Amino acid sequence: MFLSRIVLRDLDSIDSPASMASSKKVVTRDEWERKLRDVKIRKEDMNRLVMNYLVTEGFVDAADKFRIESGTQPEIDLATITDRMEVKRAVQSGNVQEAIEKINDLNPTILDTNPQLYFHLQQQKLIELIRAGKISEALEFAQEELAPRGEENQTFLEEIEKTVALLVFEDVKNCPYGELLDVSQRLKTASEVNAAILTSQSHEKDPKLPSLLKMLLWTQDQLDEKAAYPRMNDFTTAELQDPSI
Amino acid sequence: MPATASGGARPEEAAAAVIAPSASASAASCMGTRPEELTARLAAAPGAGCGGGGSGAGAAGVVAEHERVRALREIKNQIIGNRTKKLLYLRLGAVPAVVAALAEPGASPAALVQAAAAAGSFACGVDDGARAVLAAGAVGHLTRLLAHPDEKVVDASARALRMIYQSKLAPKFDVNNGKNMDFVLSLLNSENENVTELAATIISHSCENSAEQLSLFNAGVPQKLVSLFGGSMNLRDACLDSVTAVIRNNREVASRFASTDHGKGFRSVVALIHDRNPRTRLLACLCLIALGHASPCHFQDKQIKTKLIMVLLELIEEPGHVGDEAPLALTTLIKDSLELQKQALTTNAVEKLSNHLLANSLETRRAVTILLALSELCSKLEESRSQLMSVEVSTLILEALKHDWADIRVAACSCLKNISRSPKVLSGGRLSCDTVIGSLVQLLYDSSTSVQAAALGAICNIAINLTPKKSFLLHSGVVSQLVHLSKSMDPTLRLKSVWALRNIMFLLSSKDKDFIVKELTLSTLSSLICDPEHFVQEQSLALVHNLLDGYADSANYVIGEDGMVIDAITRQLNNASAPGVCIQGMFVLANIAAGNELNKEAVMNVLLPHRADRIKPSFIVNFLQSKDKQLRVATLWCLLNLIYPKCEASSGRVVRLQNAGVIQQVKSMINDPCLDCKLRVRMVLEHCVDNADDGFM
Repeated sequence: MFLSRIVLRDLDSIDSPASMASSKKVVTRDEWERKLRDVKIRKEDMNRLVMNYLVTEGFVDAADKFRIESGTQPEIDLATITDRMEVKRAVQSGNVQEAIEKINDLNPTILDTNPQLYFHLQQQKLIELIRAGKISEALEFAQEELAPRGEENQTFLEEIEKTVALLVFEDVKNCPYGELLDVSQRLKTASEVNAAILTSQSHEKDPKLPSLLKMLLWTQDQLDEKAAYPRMNDFTTAELQDPSI
Repeated sequence: MPATASGGARPEEAAAAVIAPSASASAASCMGTRPEELTARLAAAPGAGCGGGGSGAGAAGVVAEHERVRALREIKNQIIGNRTKKLLYLRLGAVPAVVAALAEPGASPAALVQAAAAAGSFACGVDDGARAVLAAGAVGHLTRLLAHPDEKVVDASARALRMIYQSKLAPKFDVNNGKNMDFVLSLLNSENENVTELAATIISHSCENSAEQLSLFNAGVPQKLVSLFGGSMNLRDACLDSVTAVIRNNREVASRFASTDHGKGFRSVVALIHDRNPRTRLLACLCLIALGHASPCHFQDKQIKTKLIMVLLELIEEPGHVGDEAPLALTTLIKDSLELQKQALTTNAVEKLSNHLLANSLETRRAVTILLALSELCSKLEESRSQLMSVEVSTLILEALKHDWADIRVAACSCLKNISRSPKVLSGGRLSCDTVIGSLVQLLYDSSTSVQAAALGAICNIAINLTPKKSFLLHSGVVSQLVHLSKSMDPTLRLKSVWALRNIMFLLSSKDKDFIVKELTLSTLSSLICDPEHFVQEQSLALVHNLLDGYADSANYVIGEDGMVIDAITRQLNNASAPGVCIQGMFVLANIAAGNELNKEAVMNVLLPHRADRIKPSFIVNFLQSKDKQLRVATLWCLLNLIYPKCEASSGRVVRLQNAGVIQQVKSMINDPCLDCKLRVRMVLEHCVDNADDGFM
């Protein structure tokens, strides 16, 4: 990524009206790899990036092992990660009440100051009741818990309607709002919970690695307009594809 | 056990819930989660310490404590985030029992943690909850618990206190008291970030007046807060907010803060406008904006101001609360400042804000704050107004006039008011068309007074520049509604509706002027001239002034028909009213005096009533002695019109004015510092001589 920026810079400085109109500059694989070798990146920085990813995503054991093996210090106390991961796990397995109680043990101000999160957790609870086929309980819960949320805050009404609509359909999985019953909904809620806990602990809720990859994508797009060069199209393999001429 | 539907309190169950220690073991496993049961259990739970000796009672004591912790935890988990449950437990009287648990001498840390969390939650977002928590004495207990050996208890107490101090019912914390200040300082020095955040919250809450702000500054609090910027993100944000509270509207504290340590604090805040965290950036901007308003001389740097504008424009893209409030911060920054509005224009603020508005729903807080920012951007700059009137945006604003949310309607009216300060835009026709005027007139009937006031503001401005099309405005029924609003209990509505009438009256045809006077009625006009608010008096007189202008016969409205209006004017001029009122009053008299003999005599009777007592000089003399040059000029014009053209009657009036000492006063103004006055003084004296000459002949 740094390399493509250097090339962009070089191109800008040699641009002349004549070369603008003509075809793009071509960078061969050899040239590219040579320039790549010249770019220096510190190992400590790499390690910190990896640790940041593990910690933010909540991979406690991996973070601990990585700490031992690389000597990189985690940015937050690993014990707090364990707590957070238990909450996330509870949501992901559909044990919403357990998750709520754990969040409140961790920091009771989170749900009081995040009405949207609290609502989504209660919504998830209703979804789980419907999934388990406990229809009368679900109805009671919707009336006692979800309806007041709608009264307290109008923006939740639409979501409540969608969720309650699930109760109407015989074949819930295939009804209009069936995606609410999907595991992805649990993951969405879990992710929201994770972010809220991280924020309350003064930690950034997004890991830095995805931002770097986004920057790489953007930089390559910018460079595409000016040059043909070995492009990285698959980040998982980091393979370079020869420039087409 | 699953939660059962609550069907109201069942006394027999509540009574049965009072458990004797020996039965508690079996009862524990069937503890219900119904609010009434829990509250009763909590209230009845025996203290952990009591129970006397003996292992049976001791074990029961432990179990009872365990029970209490469970009950507290259950209540806590039910109320957090849940306003409805909070209100329910409040009604059941649970708060005193919860707070009592904090005061329990032998309470376990577990119980204290749960009780503190529950107390804090009751105070969060529910006024009655905060009230109950305070009444039960929670603050004292929680403060004491900040020194508890168990860190978890300290954390819980600090968080709860923070909730309490953030509520609008938070108790007064007097930092002028030495002990209180020491306490806050000790909290600031704590290793525990929950505790330092609490300190920051208390500080933000204790900046109600400049004496408190000064005490905090003298105790070194702002510098200490700045030193905590290196802490965690949340702590830093809390400290930034506190610094802003300490310097807000306090020139002395703000300038001293900016210069302390060679400006170190100031530079630290500036650095934070580029922080990674959007919320920090916003808070840093707000701090600098407060600094700039309180102490402008420390805020001369154009670069910083430009940076602020750019940072705020970027923050508008952020999700959530930060993006919603960024436009408001921008509005505050550029308010009343031509220089900054120009600056904002060069950074394409209008375009960026408009694009965001067009791309998103109107039914959001962000749309409201963006509209208000756009309105402010158009308040002084012609170019901003033209930019805003692009087809898409103006269509959106007109749509917004009809929106469900009152806030959106108000913001849209505000935009229109400022845009219509541009004659060019108005002559372009988009704003003066039927649909716009129709929509605005509709809003005069709105259920919200703020919407009515905002619509009035827009109509006021549109009316001035609408000269060729005013008859449309008149036939839209606006006059009757304006007359109706001029009788409102709300002084703002009275003021703005009269102002609108004044503007409509400007340069109107005689026929249309008659129409308005008939709708308004002279008695209403007289009442308005004597309105309790002097701003309303002033606009009413200005309305008369515009009525008379260019329409000689209209003087009959003022002096004819048992002289209701002229009497009202006389009363106000004699009552040492506000300068604005006197100025408009004199312009009215001057315009009447420009008419025929009858008119001139009528004015003379106002200035020098026949039955006047000789001891008190005419108010005319006072006006001529006024420091306000506009008043002197208006009075001189009136005098001029009374004694011109030269004729026998004019000479008579000169003599009367002479006898009242008025001419003497005018003579003493020969070297008046105001050029306009000087000229009128000369003219008056020339005409006096003229008339006198004639008399001699």
